[in-house]
Amino acid sequence: MTADMDARTRRVYLVLLLAPLFLLAFLYLYPLSRVLWLSVTVPTPGFGNFERLFTSSGIQNVIWTTLRICVFTTALALLIGYAVAYAALHLRGWRGELLLFFVLLSFWLSVLIRAFAWLTLLQSRGLINTWLMNVGIIDAPLTLIRNEFGVVLGMVHYMIPYAALPLYANMKGIDTRLVPAARGLGASPVQAFLKVYLPMSLPGLISAGILTFIFSLGFYVTPALLGGGKTIMISEYIAVQINETLNWGLGSMLATSLLLAIFALLAVLSFFVDLRKVFGVK
Amino acid sequence: MDLAPSKPFRITVFGAWLAILFLTLPFAVVFPVSLTPQRYLSLPDGELSLRHYQTLLQDPSWILSIRDSLIVATGSTLVAIVLGTMTALACWRISSRASELVRMAMLAPMIVPSIVHALGFYQIWAQLGLLDTYLGLILAHAMKGTPYVVISVSAALANVDLRLEQAARNLGATALQALWKVIIPAAKPGMAAGSVFAFALSWDELVVTLFLSSRGVYTLPRKIWDGIQDNINPAIAAVASLMIVLTVIAMVVRILLARRQARLAAVPTEP
Amino acid sequence: MSASITLENVTKAYGSHLASDDVSLEIGAGRFVTLLGPSGSGKTTLLMMIAGFVRPTKGRILAGGRDITNEPPERREFGMVFQGYALFPNMTVAENLAFPLKLRGVARDAVEKEVRRMLDVVHLPGLGGRYPRELSGGQQQRVALARALIFNPKVLLLDESLSALDKKLRAGLQEELRDLHARLGTTFVFVTHDQEEALSMSDEIVIVNRGRIVQRGAPKALYDKPDTRFVADFLGRANFIEGAVSSLSGREISYGAGGLSLRHALPVDGAAPQPHQPILLGLRPEKLRLASEAPGGTANAVPAEITLVTYEGADYHIRATTPLGSMQAVVASTGGGASPARGDKVWLSWDQDAAVVLRDDR
Repeated sequence: MTADMDARTRRVYLVLLLAPLFLLAFLYLYPLSRVLWLSVTVPTPGFGNFERLFTSSGIQNVIWTTLRICVFTTALALLIGYAVAYAALHLRGWRGELLLFFVLLSFWLSVLIRAFAWLTLLQSRGLINTWLMNVGIIDAPLTLIRNEFGVVLGMVHYMIPYAALPLYANMKGIDTRLVPAARGLGASPVQAFLKVYLPMSLPGLISAGILTFIFSLGFYVTPALLGGGKTIMISEYIAVQINETLNWGLGSMLATSLLLAIFALLAVLSFFVDLRKVFGVK
Repeated sequence: MDLAPSKPFRITVFGAWLAILFLTLPFAVVFPVSLTPQRYLSLPDGELSLRHYQTLLQDPSWILSIRDSLIVATGSTLVAIVLGTMTALACWRISSRASELVRMAMLAPMIVPSIVHALGFYQIWAQLGLLDTYLGLILAHAMKGTPYVVISVSAALANVDLRLEQAARNLGATALQALWKVIIPAAKPGMAAGSVFAFALSWDELVVTLFLSSRGVYTLPRKIWDGIQDNINPAIAAVASLMIVLTVIAMVVRILLARRQARLAAVPTEP
Repeated sequence: MSASITLENVTKAYGSHLASDDVSLEIGAGRFVTLLGPSGSGKTTLLMMIAGFVRPTKGRILAGGRDITNEPPERREFGMVFQGYALFPNMTVAENLAFPLKLRGVARDAVEKEVRRMLDVVHLPGLGGRYPRELSGGQQQRVALARALIFNPKVLLLDESLSALDKKLRAGLQEELRDLHARLGTTFVFVTHDQEEALSMSDEIVIVNRGRIVQRGAPKALYDKPDTRFVADFLGRANFIEGAVSSLSGREISYGAGGLSLRHALPVDGAAPQPHQPILLGLRPEKLRLASEAPGGTANAVPAEITLVTYEGADYHIRATTPLGSMQAVVASTGGGASPARGDKVWLSWDQDAAVVLRDDR
């Protein structure tokens, strides 16, 4: 039963609600709207910037690269994250906890340190190439970074906890008696998984997938360091427009497009799950 | 009902451990690299050296960037805690469609890609004269940290009975006294968890920092970034090692604290 | 010091739904009054309005004759025991008890003394240092009670306060509550959906349904003389007989039901139904007698076939089909003779004054 409030209580809580909202509006939404505004006013008013989405092959290239990398990243992160979450939940005792501990550790570790660690391993004079050459398996160093392979590797590494943790939370809500029940009715382990467990975890899989994809779209640090200027995703491309060519019109147009794409994806996501649950406010 | 682990399950578990290896191996490699006696990135060849850790202590630019990071992360965490807690409290108590909308709006900085709001901050901060200032970076980071506080405080409040407020009022507390003495203490675990998020976020933040600061405020991620960009040197491996160790310690402490709390909560109930 | 509570034409509307519909009620100072009703009946809304958490849409609420309709809850000086207890989890038991005293600026040693005294009153000495989560349900209940009473409130409000406890514990606490009420003389307003609890504890029961007061009175009066089908049904078990009045002589009526001719002796006062009118009678199962032969005399009797026998310790609860429909009877299990069994053909009989004429409010 919801209790209604007397006037004084209402005043106290309205201040609590509105004060942060005003600050957010001024310090966040206003700057954000400025980006949207620039995209249709600089250098000349109109949708000229957006036309370039359809005419510039350079931009289209960047977008395709971004989408390709994000699809691979999401698929791999989901697959690995699902296995890790499943194992962490169903392993008995300390083993499951240890798995979860490593996932959480990876979750908390700095994005820069990850990229640095991968660089240490993968660059042409990095540990892997040095070792392979010392052993004599290869003569010339392999190109492991400055390409999409390196970027996807680094991004999957980053996104696995982001996929695994919500999947874990979702799987925790699945009745543990269902699979034994299916087995008792004659299903094989694989059948029980495919017919009972997987469908039950599908909403979690979809929302984890879309979230992973959304986060991947905006990646900057990992592709910038592991792509090494060769493989460029949209965030880095935008930064280049602003920092090097001072092209605010193009930069803000791409930022706006990125934002709109993400909101469109969220709208799709809201068909499958309650967004408030995804973001943990309900 | 217990079934023996099936073969597919064992394969899954094996895959999961492989994934953990994949997740942790790169970090593990950082430690030996930080102990190399060479000036370039390499595994130590028989001989270990602490020279790169010495560099960290002796080169004032590392110390200064750590100081800047601490200032910005602490400041932005404080702002985020205040804003996020206020929002979560109000939404918890008012709980209408309007307050849900406000809560969703507060989450925007979590969803919008860094590069997009970095451009916006850059534009407006330039007008306000906040570029390359502590305040400018603190406010921007606080905006990014607030959603995490909103979420964790909301989660803490989700288990708080609205009747606690009524009980306090019934016993003679005004609305403000009830808030201060009963509701905020109940929200404290959420505030603590949220502040950890907000702090870690700011400590690690790079994209917005790249746009908003240059030399005046020079945070640790910025310093590492520049270090990687022009000349990767093992001092970064030393920093990375220290940060990994600190993270592990923080996590273990948290787990031990949680265990202790669980034990306290499970004391026998009958006198 | 206890206070009376008066509700004057109190209405609470949530949109078009009336949680409380023009309720007027007088609760005398020092009484133990129970608001009883099914869930959603509006009894909790009434309590919340008395406590000050819900503001009436229309009407006035008075305490000791003073209008408190617009007074915030913290100034009403009513203690309340909440559903789920609402103990402050961040405070120890002693801090919970001290909370209302500190707000009233009581000196620290006086607070300590009073907390210790109150813990003794609710039989929890020495538990002041515990946190609420470290206590059992019954102990939490006692702490909530102590906290609500420690500042000597004029009225104690109890919202479904015992429902979460198991049956045995509940019985113990019911006795303690009645004992406390007798010793303190504070006005107790108790809300529950549990009719047994209401019957055993209160001076007076107010039955609430659909936002309105249906009937009020002492527990025994309500049980023996329910006004309506709802009250008879909600408070205890009842058989309902629907018939039509055939004749009236003095205070005795004849009526037909299920093809039988039955008699009913009306109480000395009250209106009498007229011939050819429909009539609804309520009959408590324990007023029915079971016999293997058709009984003689003036009592009503119907043939019956037993369909279900439930053993309830002291009694058998029997369900049987009769020309009047399915009926239930409660008979003592301790008497001699064979125990009733499914399929037995028997006679059910009852005295002419055993039934009560009811208003059909269904």
